Amino acid sequence: MRPSLQDKYMDDVVQFSHQNNEPDWFTKIRTDNLEKSSDLSLPRYEKINYRSWRLDHPTDFDAASVVTSYEPATSKNYIIQAGGKTLDIHLQPELADKGVILTDIFTAIKDYPELIQKYYMTKVVKADDNKLTAIHAAMMNGGIFLYIPRNVKVKDSIQATFVQDNSIKRDFNQHILLVAEDNSEVTYLENFITSGDAEENKANIVAEVITGDNTHVHYSALDQLSESTTSYLSRRGITGANARIDWAIGFMNDGNVIGDFGTDLLGDGSHTEAKVVAITTGEQVQGIDTKVTNYGRHTIGHILQHGVILESSTLTFNGVGHIVKGARGSDAQQESRVLMLSRHARGDANPILLIDENDVTAGHAASVGRVNEEQMYYLMSRGIDEATAQRLVIRGFLSSVITEIPEAEVRDRLTQMIERKLINGQQ
Amino acid sequence: MSTLEVKDLHVSVTDEENGKGQEILKGVNLKMSTGEIHAIMGPNGTGKSTLSAAIMGDSAYQVTQGDVLLDGKSILDMPVDERARAGLFLAMQYPAEIPGVTNIEFMRAAINARREKDDQIPVRKFIKMLDEKQNILDMTDEMSGRYLNEGFSGGEKKRNEILQLLMIQPKFAILDEIDSGLDIDALKVVSRGVNSMRGDNFGSLIITHYQRLLNYIVPDQVHIMMDGRIVQSGGPDLAKKLEDEGYAGIRDDLNLDVKLTDEI
Repeated sequence: MRPSLQDKYMDDVVQFSHQNNEPDWFTKIRTDNLEKSSDLSLPRYEKINYRSWRLDHPTDFDAASVVTSYEPATSKNYIIQAGGKTLDIHLQPELADKGVILTDIFTAIKDYPELIQKYYMTKVVKADDNKLTAIHAAMMNGGIFLYIPRNVKVKDSIQATFVQDNSIKRDFNQHILLVAEDNSEVTYLENFITSGDAEENKANIVAEVITGDNTHVHYSALDQLSESTTSYLSRRGITGANARIDWAIGFMNDGNVIGDFGTDLLGDGSHTEAKVVAITTGEQVQGIDTKVTNYGRHTIGHILQHGVILESSTLTFNGVGHIVKGARGSDAQQESRVLMLSRHARGDANPILLIDENDVTAGHAASVGRVNEEQMYYLMSRGIDEATAQRLVIRGFLSSVITEIPEAEVRDRLTQMIERKLINGQQ
Repeated sequence: MSTLEVKDLHVSVTDEENGKGQEILKGVNLKMSTGEIHAIMGPNGTGKSTLSAAIMGDSAYQVTQGDVLLDGKSILDMPVDERARAGLFLAMQYPAEIPGVTNIEFMRAAINARREKDDQIPVRKFIKMLDEKQNILDMTDEMSGRYLNEGFSGGEKKRNEILQLLMIQPKFAILDEIDSGLDIDALKVVSRGVNSMRGDNFGSLIITHYQRLLNYIVPDQVHIMMDGRIVQSGGPDLAKKLEDEGYAGIRDDLNLDVKLTDEI
């Protein structure tokens, strides 16, 4: 019989925690969840089969990253981490004065234990939700804590860049904890990139967003993990009354990815817009499960996902809209569309609506289709070659999501990334 | 001087319902040079748009016989984009809408497609040229910043086709019913645009139902097309004669056995 994760890794986990000088209560979160992980199952997603990816087989989560160089941030507030180590960090002094916290997760555990104990894997993504979250809790080896106090509206965006190191064998288990207290507002921009290509690694990333009443969180993420990185990316949020979370996620990774993503609309009158753009190339598989659950009354959950598939890749969009009994006056809408550029590519768009309340509105649209021939003919009739014409049509197809992203900077970077990934995929 | 020659062209389309090919063009002959404007007139359903699509290389139309030659060389094996870069332009009756791509970036891409990778058009030069051409057509910057044809009115789309023509400066432009849906003021503007292109290095094939457009863009030659063939050619007077007698009159003059679609 194969030894359990507990037998195999308990010593390493305890040692890693001690090396980090973590308090006992945090070491216990790690060890408890390592124990639980053996009995938990992998999370299931409709039409996404990733069992063979071995995401539940951790390796060297405790190795030290060797990445030291990085691109400077473009925002006024930023944190840059490589393999869990902070390389650079800046927070405007006036924000620090108001009580805004931006720090690496290990410092947060020591300096803000009440906040971490209250929010870390307890309210949004529960540590024992499934095997992967439990492994994450046990072997978390990097990440950040961002805290916006009551009544603070952060004007300039806060940017976090996480460099995953593939020059060494090391699991990449990053945790992002974003807490926005009542009446606060923040724009958070996230980048995941890979450095080096000597090793194949796994990433197990969990981002939690907790919003108080009347808050507004803009969460934009551009994921560019490499072909040799296999990832589980979970980004989830919960809302207070009249709170709003706007997600804009660009899945531009080159490796296999499971995206588990969405919002639980707990507070009455809360609202979420979940926008996803994905491009898959090569032999890559990306499965994206976006789920919004309306618990509170008069809540609004909108999902908009557009993806393009090239070569022999596979892209699955699940859109799950769930309105629970009692969420009167709520609205669940979703649209998932996949554009196929290759006969060898596989695309799927699955709308799933679960409605347990009568007094609601809900709708869905889903399609998997090919490039519009009429548009191609028009562009080519002006002398534009087929590959460029395709990219323009694709850009048009993705634009209905991109134009909805409020930050011009994110829009531009996403557009550039799309161009790069398409050019690679067309070769 | 460049030449565009259509030789005994037979073109079929596949009927979507029964999958059978239906012959639309039944042997069209036409020769024109740069410096000339030719008009093709004809009743509805006679194959005028088929001719323009076949010259441009729309894959929905199959050439079953004959040839299309640009400067003496057959272009039938060329894909659409290559024909365009070789010097052909088609102003379409129903231009596609492409959301997410602005008019400006589309036109730059079209111009740069004709230039070397390391010699793309400088932004300033492009903007200057765009300003000039927009002025000719009474167009504003606002329109160029919008997504390609998206939400454009019929008239705006036609104007936009002509703007592209002026920016790209092809050897030969085929204008497929560029006058349809235009009021008299817009018709004058569009004509002004086309006339600004006139010269030794530009030829145009204007496809229209009505003589009216030809009052503003005076052709050197007029061809009348019926039932997939050119049945009569002549000078600008031929268009006037047509206006007086109608297509039925011309048909009867020529003793043709053709049923006109709109005939009662």
